[in-house]
Amino acid sequence: MNLQAATSPARPWLSGMREAIPLLGGYVPVAISFGLVATQAGFNAWEAVIISTLFYAGASQFLFVGMIAAGSPLWLVVAMTLLINLRHVVYAPNLAPWLTSSRWWGWLMHTLTDQVFALAHARLPQLPEAQRLGWFTGAALLAWAIWVGGTALGALAGGKLVARWALMGEILPFALPALFLVLVAPRFTSRRWSLALSVTIASSLLLTLLGLTNAAIPLAAICGMLCFQVVKFDTAMQGDHHE
Amino acid sequence: MSNALWIAVLAAALGTLLMRLIPLLWMQRRLKRLGDDAPEAMPQWLSLLGPLMVAAVFGVSLVPVTAGPLAWLATIIGMIATLAVWWRTRTLGWPVAAGIATYGVVVTLFG
Repeated sequence: MNLQAATSPARPWLSGMREAIPLLGGYVPVAISFGLVATQAGFNAWEAVIISTLFYAGASQFLFVGMIAAGSPLWLVVAMTLLINLRHVVYAPNLAPWLTSSRWWGWLMHTLTDQVFALAHARLPQLPEAQRLGWFTGAALLAWAIWVGGTALGALAGGKLVARWALMGEILPFALPALFLVLVAPRFTSRRWSLALSVTIASSLLLTLLGLTNAAIPLAAICGMLCFQVVKFDTAMQGDHHE
Repeated sequence: MSNALWIAVLAAALGTLLMRLIPLLWMQRRLKRLGDDAPEAMPQWLSLLGPLMVAAVFGVSLVPVTAGPLAWLATIIGMIATLAVWWRTRTLGWPVAAGIATYGVVVTLFG
């Protein structure tokens, strides 16, 4: 697998920011939508920005403000928010082998969203050890800043923006599936992996279409893992298990 | 916001941070205990789950913002364009740019 964009040894954080740019196409419209939804739910612009800054977890933020607006008990709101974010527990351990000994990594885990994980999981193993912290800091902080900035924009002027740039709001989010395709494609390295990945993609697509967006990611990944464990190809067993 | 609501915000934010942080600390301790052969020290189920979670995120993201025949057509053509450019360049940025451009052209032309 080689997604090698030229990484500047002197400025790995700049390379990280550059490689995180495709994430923004997905983040900006959703962040603007969140800012708008939060203000419509009764939060002011500052409160929406603080929620985006502290949570930094798209789906659960929408759920949080939606349940608050609906008058749900606070303990249930917190419990449901955490339940949706439960999938995040497997992200950091998958990156751990490539993280250096810096104490900053702990703080940077706040920025580990689905998208940042997907990008870092593909890129960190390819980077020299000395560049990893800088690269991740650049990529993750840019994505976080855009999320918070997008929320502020949505809270202050979301209605006007949505009305004026409706088509851009429809086109830009395509950056996310395009990016994920580029991250997933190199992992089709064997028939066994190809089948497991295909089952996962099809399952998550189907579950999302059925309205189970939040459960789709963990459930589909479990389907793919079961497929990987159960289906074994006679001729390709050797060397089939690799990243 | 009321005080109770602020506490709820802080509790949910702190819980989310801990769900991202504690597994890292656990894995780092495990790696330290098992030695430097890092990737092999990872439990097999966890090393499988990483790429599969990315694939699952991809599947979820495939559903267009505004679902409809045109959006699905644009998604399919956009995916083909993305894959074709990735196949030729093996880079990160160009395939994404080509995919967005193709998606935009299809939506604009047929919309």
